[in-house]
Amino acid sequence: MPPSTCLWTLTQRSPETAVRFLSKIHPQVVYFSTSQARYANPSPKKKTMTAAPKRGTKTLNTKKGRSAAQDTGKRPAPGDRKQARKRIVLTNDNALAVASLKDMDKADTTSETSQGQVLGIPEATVDALRAVEAFKTTQGWNLFRRPATLMRKETIELAKVMNEAEGQKRTLRRILSGERLSGKSTLLLQALSMAFVREWVVINLPEAQDIVNAHTEYAPLPDSQPTQYTQDTYMANLLGQILKANSSASNPFLAKTQVTANHTLPVALPANASLKQLIEVGIVSPEASWPVFLALWRELTQPGRPPIMLAIDGTAHVMKESDYLNAQVKPIHSFDLAIVRHFIDHLSGAKSLPNGGVVLAATSQSNAPKTPALDFSIEVAEARRVNPNNIPRWNPYKNIDPRVMEAFKDLHSPTAENGAGGVNAMDVIKVGGLSKDEARSIMEYYAESGMLRAKVDDGFVTEKWSLAGMGNIGELERASVRFRI
Amino acid sequence: MPPRLNLLNFTRSIPYRAKAQTQWLPCPVAQFAPTQARTYSDVKAPQEPPAADRSKRLDAQPLPHVSEEAAQMAEITGGEGPDLSQATPVEEVVKGDKEAEEKLPKIMQDQLKSKSSSAPKGSRSYSTSTTPIGGGSSAFDMGLMGFKSPPAAAAPTVPGLKFDMPALPLPKDGHVKHRYDPVVDQVTNLLMRHGRKSVAQRNMALILQQLRTAPVPTINPQRPLLPGAPPPSHLPLNPVLYLTLAIDSVAPLLRIRSQRGAAGGGVALQIPVPLGQRQRRRIAIQWILGSASKRRTNVSGKTAYAQRVASELIAVVEGRSAVWERRNAVHKLGVSARSNIVLPRKK
Repeated sequence: MPPSTCLWTLTQRSPETAVRFLSKIHPQVVYFSTSQARYANPSPKKKTMTAAPKRGTKTLNTKKGRSAAQDTGKRPAPGDRKQARKRIVLTNDNALAVASLKDMDKADTTSETSQGQVLGIPEATVDALRAVEAFKTTQGWNLFRRPATLMRKETIELAKVMNEAEGQKRTLRRILSGERLSGKSTLLLQALSMAFVREWVVINLPEAQDIVNAHTEYAPLPDSQPTQYTQDTYMANLLGQILKANSSASNPFLAKTQVTANHTLPVALPANASLKQLIEVGIVSPEASWPVFLALWRELTQPGRPPIMLAIDGTAHVMKESDYLNAQVKPIHSFDLAIVRHFIDHLSGAKSLPNGGVVLAATSQSNAPKTPALDFSIEVAEARRVNPNNIPRWNPYKNIDPRVMEAFKDLHSPTAENGAGGVNAMDVIKVGGLSKDEARSIMEYYAESGMLRAKVDDGFVTEKWSLAGMGNIGELERASVRFRI
Repeated sequence: MPPRLNLLNFTRSIPYRAKAQTQWLPCPVAQFAPTQARTYSDVKAPQEPPAADRSKRLDAQPLPHVSEEAAQMAEITGGEGPDLSQATPVEEVVKGDKEAEEKLPKIMQDQLKSKSSSAPKGSRSYSTSTTPIGGGSSAFDMGLMGFKSPPAAAAPTVPGLKFDMPALPLPKDGHVKHRYDPVVDQVTNLLMRHGRKSVAQRNMALILQQLRTAPVPTINPQRPLLPGAPPPSHLPLNPVLYLTLAIDSVAPLLRIRSQRGAAGGGVALQIPVPLGQRQRRRIAIQWILGSASKRRTNVSGKTAYAQRVASELIAVVEGRSAVWERRNAVHKLGVSARSNIVLPRKK
């Protein structure tokens, strides 16, 4: 008997139906085809047959023999290169010691007789300035035997401001503006060093960019309306700087002074604690750093305490929205960061320093975002000094930041001179060029240090003064000391 | 009637000046120097030789007795003559006589050879440095400056000048194209990549700053710097001199030119060619920059390359750099190939 599926029956059907029928009875049937081989990927060529690489092309060579010539020396550890880049060097052993250089003392910071002199910064003050990160890597401290600065016209102006703030217990606010390389950061450093010499309490925010560039953690401050944000790690570091800078051997103010008021802190404070112990609590437990800072501030503003120097460098960075995001993924304005808020309240005059003090904000021309409101305020204040009747108008086509305009209304409003804090409480110090006498003084210091090999006479001074754009001190240093063509 | 043509007068005045009388140049009087020639009158009357030998020829005359000879020598030298009880060493006898020296036994020849090289081993009998030409009074420009202004040559007051005449000589950097130090200029240009000169200038300033702040170098006596170099403690205070010294000290004196087809057999003939000062510096700078870029970098940022170049320069001055080996290799090759130099025939 033939099988039930007789192949012979296929011949009776058309080819298409036959294929359909076959696929039903034998689903895995394979037909003869050439297309599979034709469309298959080309087989890899033998390695021995590869042509030499074209000239100029890079090839991966993993032969073992090559590694013998490679440098097997010890690499710098992670972070070492950055540390070498950021290192602050304040001495040059090759430079000659200047015999006539004398240290800055308290009398120099209160009188005008020191104008045009180069004065050394005392050793204790250098340590304190180092602690508050007042020295910058771009400044030329590493060329000379020890740090020294020129008491220029603007320095004396600032010294007078400090005299007034200390004598009349006023809160004077100044913004340092000027050309690139005109010495704004160095003037800020001079102000800080004068404050240290006068035994003020110094709180310096070394670089405004570091506060707002979202490199440190942040958290909303409870019970704040509108919401403010604290940066605990940054604040703990800042408290450490404050403690280190303001507790010198000659002025142990923080260690001697006891906490008077009753503060509510997340961490318990020992009985009869000193301000130093209070700060140490904030350093050890960063989550308590902001309440500790507020408590410290309340203690410092008690009657009978020394004046306060509050300073910031690179101000423009905090005059815009920060890189932090809030819960709605919207950028947080810099003024909503707690420490920035604190500074701006004192800079704008919303809060004052009861024991007197100076609030300083230095601008930068080389690393600054666009801040039309700040630029306009400075422009108006400078124009008012020249001619009160010819004041520039706001350009309506520029984007205005209303909060910044509000903060600087003592600079640009029509009644600016009698703003918060009395007459001229807020002003701009325009850091200009040196006079020729000042230029000669600093160049003689260069020559005595052995860094400038020239005869410093009138012709030479005038030449370099002119080349430096009428006495721009940074350009003067470049032209005379740094061999920068 | 006067003649219409006046031959003796010109119609117009002609700017003609009679030829000045030829200036009399004072010729130095010929100096009479005593002549080197001797006349017969100078010859003293010869002493009468002993009667035994009256020969006129000098070489035919017999030698005197040893003791007589010693006495003569004592008279000539003014001291005692040779010791007659001891013999004279052969070396002394043949000293200075090349032909005789060649016929000595080998041991004595070896002894002579070892004695003859009095200079310490490893030093060369020829100079490996050049003396700059026209460098002023001192051989090496120390970069010192006169703090006295140069005496102004009494410039005659010329009417019509608004300012005084410039004092001569004009300052070195008076020309706008040569206002910077030549070495600094050359290094800056060789540092430049992709035409970015400002970056090169910044790097140059950073290099000089590094040289100024680095510790005082310790000089290796095996690698002597240029003769007349200042003591190392002076170098950091004068970074341009530091740079110049490092470059000039390792600069090769010559390069090897390979002349194809001159040696025959498909071998290139190597001919040493002397270099000028700027060429020598260029080669040295390129060697230094090459080994600096091979250095491992220990810093990051804009100053990294400048720091590497500066530490290479310090290594050159301290004698640690591999650039010295290259210089020595070039000089060695030059010495071995000096026979290939074909000098033009003198006419």
